[in-house]
Amino acid sequence: MIIPVRCFSCGRVIASDYVAFVNRVKFIRENEKREPTSEEIENIFDELGVERYCCRRMILSHVDLVDEVIPYD
Amino acid sequence: MELNILELKEKYIKFEIKGITPSMANALRRTLINDIPKLAIHKVIFHHGQIRDKNGNVHDSTTPLFDEIIAHRLGLIPLPTDLNMKFRDDCDHPPDEGCPLCTVTYTLNKHGPATVYSGDLVPHGDQKFRPVDSLIPIVKLKDNQAILLEAEAIMGTAREHAKWQVTSGVSYKYHREITVKKDDSDYWEEVKNSCPENVIYEDKDKITFTDDRKCKAMAKLLSFDNPEIKEDNSWFIFQFETDGSLSAKDTLDYALRRLQERFSKIRESAAIS
Repeated sequence: MIIPVRCFSCGRVIASDYVAFVNRVKFIRENEKREPTSEEIENIFDELGVERYCCRRMILSHVDLVDEVIPYD
Repeated sequence: MELNILELKEKYIKFEIKGITPSMANALRRTLINDIPKLAIHKVIFHHGQIRDKNGNVHDSTTPLFDEIIAHRLGLIPLPTDLNMKFRDDCDHPPDEGCPLCTVTYTLNKHGPATVYSGDLVPHGDQKFRPVDSLIPIVKLKDNQAILLEAEAIMGTAREHAKWQVTSGVSYKYHREITVKKDDSDYWEEVKNSCPENVIYEDKDKITFTDDRKCKAMAKLLSFDNPEIKEDNSWFIFQFETDGSLSAKDTLDYALRRLQERFSKIRESAAIS
C-alpha cells in the first residue's frame, strides 16, 4: 500500500529513505535509459545509510499501491 | 573499566568498553533498546465531515487509508525529545488529561491533491518539537479530499510500544585479533592498504588485524589464509543508531545513568530490610 514508516525488524525509519531511493532510481532510468545495476543500488543504500539487510528488503520489496487505491474512496 | 568512542555521528555511535563481563554488556544493550524515554504521538483526534480551505472550497475527510492506520503511522514518526519532560503517570493530574510538562500537541491540516508528509505536523507552542525527519509520507490525498486532525504526544519507553524505541540495530561483539602468516598468501597486503587503521601488530613474518572498525576487505581474509583468531570476552565493541529523536551521544549517556539509577534502587531496598 504505502511504504511502512519503520523497518519491521529493527525499527529504523525507512519511509523517507524510500522516497529518496525511488528518486535516485528514477534519475538513472531517465538519464541513462537503463535499469540501475546492482552495484548502483548498493551504492544508493550505502549513501542513504541503510546498512542492515532488514531495512534494505523493506525498500527493495515494497510495491507502492496507494495511487491505485485513491480513485475508490 | 574504560570506554572509548571509535566513531561518532549525530545518529550513529560506535564505542568500545574494556574490562566488563558479557552480562554487563547485555544489560547495557537491553537498556539502550527498551529503557530510553522519548516522545511519540499517542492520541489522535480526527475531524470527520466537510473541511473547508482558505478559498471556501469544500473537501471531504475521506482518505485512502483507514484512520487507525494513519494514527499508527503518526505514532511512529520520530519527534525531538526533551529528556526533562515527565511521564504522564508521574504528573499530578488525572491520566487522561495532559499538561505542558508531559504533553505536546500537534495539528495537521492538508488539502488534496497532495501527499501528507511528517513535516506538515505543526506543534502547538514551542517549534523545537517539529518532527526531526520532515519527509516521511503519511497518506496521499486526491483532489476533493482533506485531512484535519489533532494529536497528543507523550513520553514513553519501548518496553510498552516500539514507537517509543529510540535506538535500532543495537549490537555488540568481542574485540577480535586476527593473525595471519605473511607466507600463506599476499591478500593481507590488500587488507592492510584498504584499512591501515585496523593493523595492530606487524613483524617480518606475521601481521595482526582487528575488526573493530568496519573493513570490507576483511571478510575475504578469513577465508583465504588460515587465520589465527583470538577473542577477548572482556572487551566489547558496541554500535547503535538512533531515529533522530535523541542524539547518539545523549542516548548512551542516558542509558549509562539509567543503569546506575536502577541498580541503586536495588541497593536502597536491600539496605532497608
